[in-house]
Amino acid sequence: MVFKLVLTALYNAILSTLIYIADKKKPFNGLSYKVKQLIIGVLLGAMAIFASTNLGGVDVGGNTVMNVRDAAPICGGLIFGAPAGIIAGIIGGLYRYISAVYGITGTYTQLTCSVSTVLAGFIAAALRKFMFDDKKPGWVYGLGIGVICEVIHMLMIFFTNANDPITAFNLVKVCSLPMMLCNGFSVGAAVLAVSLLGRSGSIKQNRGKHISRMFQVRLFVCIVIAYALTSTYTYVLQSRMSNIETESVIRTNIDDVDKDILDMSDSNLLDKAKLIRSQYMRSYDKSTEFLQLLSKEHNVAEIHIIDTNGIIVNTNIPEYIGFDMASGEQSGEFLVLLDGTADSYVQKYRPQSYDSMVDRKYGGITLPEGGFIQIGYDADEFMNDIDSTVKKIAKNRHIGENGFIAVCDDKWNIISEETKYYGKNLKDFGTLMDTDKNKEKTVFNIELNGIQYLCEYEFEEGYYIAGFIPKSEALFMRDVSVYLSSFMEMLIFSALFALVYFLIKRLVIDNLNKVNLSLSKITSGNLEVTVDVRSNEEFASLSDDINSTVDTLKRYISEAEARIDAELEFAKQIQYSALPSVFPPYPNRRDFDIYACMYTAKEVGGDFYDFYMLDESTVAFLIADVSGKGIPAAMFMMKAKTIIKDLAESGLEVNEIFTRANTKLCENNDAGMFVTAWMAIVDLKTGVMSVANAGHNPPVFKRAGGSFAYEKQRAGFVLAGMEGIKYKKTEMPLAPGDRIYLYTDGVTEATDSSKQLYGEERLLNILNSLDKTEVKPLCEAVKCDIDKFVGDAPQFDDITMVSFTLNFIKGDDKLLFMPNSDAGTAVSEFAQQLTSKLDVLPKISGKVNIAIDEIASNIINYSNAKTAAISYTIENGRLYLVFEDDGRPYNPLEAEEPDITLSAEERKLGGLGIFMVKKMAESMDYKYESNKNILKLVIALDS
Amino acid sequence: MTIKQTNENGNVTLALSGRLDTTTAPELEAVLDDVLGSAAELCFDFNELEYISSAGLRVLLKAQKTMNTKGKMKLTGVNETIMEVFDITGFVDILTIE
Repeated sequence: MVFKLVLTALYNAILSTLIYIADKKKPFNGLSYKVKQLIIGVLLGAMAIFASTNLGGVDVGGNTVMNVRDAAPICGGLIFGAPAGIIAGIIGGLYRYISAVYGITGTYTQLTCSVSTVLAGFIAAALRKFMFDDKKPGWVYGLGIGVICEVIHMLMIFFTNANDPITAFNLVKVCSLPMMLCNGFSVGAAVLAVSLLGRSGSIKQNRGKHISRMFQVRLFVCIVIAYALTSTYTYVLQSRMSNIETESVIRTNIDDVDKDILDMSDSNLLDKAKLIRSQYMRSYDKSTEFLQLLSKEHNVAEIHIIDTNGIIVNTNIPEYIGFDMASGEQSGEFLVLLDGTADSYVQKYRPQSYDSMVDRKYGGITLPEGGFIQIGYDADEFMNDIDSTVKKIAKNRHIGENGFIAVCDDKWNIISEETKYYGKNLKDFGTLMDTDKNKEKTVFNIELNGIQYLCEYEFEEGYYIAGFIPKSEALFMRDVSVYLSSFMEMLIFSALFALVYFLIKRLVIDNLNKVNLSLSKITSGNLEVTVDVRSNEEFASLSDDINSTVDTLKRYISEAEARIDAELEFAKQIQYSALPSVFPPYPNRRDFDIYACMYTAKEVGGDFYDFYMLDESTVAFLIADVSGKGIPAAMFMMKAKTIIKDLAESGLEVNEIFTRANTKLCENNDAGMFVTAWMAIVDLKTGVMSVANAGHNPPVFKRAGGSFAYEKQRAGFVLAGMEGIKYKKTEMPLAPGDRIYLYTDGVTEATDSSKQLYGEERLLNILNSLDKTEVKPLCEAVKCDIDKFVGDAPQFDDITMVSFTLNFIKGDDKLLFMPNSDAGTAVSEFAQQLTSKLDVLPKISGKVNIAIDEIASNIINYSNAKTAAISYTIENGRLYLVFEDDGRPYNPLEAEEPDITLSAEERKLGGLGIFMVKKMAESMDYKYESNKNILKLVIALDS
Repeated sequence: MTIKQTNENGNVTLALSGRLDTTTAPELEAVLDDVLGSAAELCFDFNELEYISSAGLRVLLKAQKTMNTKGKMKLTGVNETIMEVFDITGFVDILTIE
């Protein structure tokens, strides 16, 4: 029977688990929340209907089915969400109500059962929402909630059937335990299965115990103990009270019967005594014989006449003559008749003092002349007199609803005729009436004809008077009140548990969570977060304390930051001041231009550039990038820069500078820093550049007349990377107009907000698109382009650039230059250098000046040449000047001579230069050879 | 080359020092463009001038042409080297050299 209930409970758990699994899988998981809740609600509602029928429930008679209908809506509400629980509850409740209307289910608990099922759905929904933060509870809670919902169900049966408590009670007594247990089991098992399947979603967390959980457990234990104690106390108290009541009910009845019998026998005896007294007083014969006659007539054993002194003066038993009544305890009691306080006295039926085998009852009444008459009456006679009355005495008497009174003779034969079991002997019938074990006037258990009774008896006037009440009846009120009060307690304690937990959660735990949330934000670095929990004074003060701590922290941090900022700013100044930063650095030199710039990602950087004149005609420049950035890189950079400069200034070849610098930088390089570097030393007299590369990015070269291109050569290993590296030197001739652009990877690896790199191609494109390729505008244009590319993204690496341009090459006896507007100065300097070296008359040096100036300016202005050269030799007092250019062929010897005789107005402005040179030179010689104009001039120095 | 300029009621004096060659001639040309419009008499002081090239001659010729239309132009302190250039090129006949 109950097995079927357990099975249905299990079905419900299995259905819930299956729904849970399906919920996570396709196609169910794709549905919206509302649709899912509706489907789950309907499925569980169907389960509730199944549980209500005879298939899933147990008929306990009268169409009343013991069931686990409430489990489905509870599962819905707790596991899947409030709407699912409420829908399932309403479906189950509606079915129960409607089915009763059509007679499928019983009407006795129609409303109660319907309402309680709907209620179960709502309770589960509310608990999930307010107590469990919309998460699944633990299985213990599931079990508890299942049980509590049934408790409410049972209590509702009581309250809705207050006019018929016995039926209600009997129903509750049968159903309560199985239904509570099975519902609890069903919900608990479902929640357990589901939480085992998906641990993550449950409120359980592994990191330590939550205060709310600890609190729940402890509160739960306290509540259970309190419940157990109060229930036990109620049970004990109710049992005791019910015992007392039962006892008093039985006792009252017995006492009534007892008194009736006593009264009956007393009055019977006194009646006899009065009859004998009147016969004795009327008779003149007061002899013993007469008294003996009287005793026979009235069937009494003794008749005594006692005088005022208490002495027997007359008797039917002659040996008592002269007996002093005061001498015996039993007889002495009759002396109350002599002092005028009573006119009759009756003793109870009892064994005679001198012969305990004989039970006798004595009574006395006063005589008018003083003294009294005493009558002794034997049991047999006495019983004959009252038996007929006694047999009727139990009539119309009953104890409680179904209890009864039995009067038995001294052998425990029931003699009261109206009593159940009349004529039976209680010693033989049912359980043995054990008068040794069960004393008089105590309540004890006895079974009669298979029915349990509570029983008490008394022995009076030779009769056993016993009261019986069926045990079920006697304990009914106790059981009702125990059930009711324990159900109520369970409900109250559960509500108390929920309420206290809810309050603690609201007042403490939620606030703690708020504080912790803010604190975790603060710990993760956001010092702008403030804690603001003001629901009570304690939390307000905690919030204030935390906020002021954070403020203090913030102040310290900003102070430290300010200090570090100041130091970094200072470090930055030192670093920048270590690099040449005045441009143009050599304003008197026109043969080359150099510009360099550095933009650090942090205050200080690991990039550096450097350049210096090694002697009058040798310039060295380099670019380098120390691994990492910030202070460590900056410190290593200073070291590298100093070492390289020292080595360069000692006159070493560029490869040797790197080889030795590497050795020095490797010493004590525990931090494992390294440097990539590219260095060039340019001989400005010859234009030969020697280059060494220690793992640095390829430089960009623009050859005179060409475009910018990467000069990719095999690079050596980085500096400070490994000891004993030998670096190689690459020599390359530079021509006037050659440009070199150096950069660090901060340029090519500049990153925009979408993590795209600036890249080598973009760099080349901007370089080649520039109109102005002078050293400074070139670097500025590239930086501007990088900034545009990067946008708002932060700068990750230091950006450093060096730009170098060779304008012309001025050797001791040769000038190589680009014939452009800037070249005039170089030419005139070259001419002045030559004339000052010649040390001749001003007239002669004027000639030399004019020759160089006029021919060179012709080349510059008209030849379209890319390069041009002026060289000279001095032999035998003559200066041999050679002009070469790769421009269009032009023979100056064939030039038309101007007419120098014309007036100012008639003369042309140009054409004088060649003419002057022709006049001044000793000889001139022109040839066009290998695409070059070659003009040779001879100027006499001593004329 | 440096140019010192004085102007006394349209009586303009330009004192040149250094070299008047291809590179410096445009400087003088620029100064003359400013001055010629207002000058009634123009005087070049060549005491400190070391050297002159054809580009310098061109500027002087241009100035002479302008001054011929509105006033006088003269040169003072011409050294031997420069004088030879004027000789070779026939400028001695065009210019007024004191």
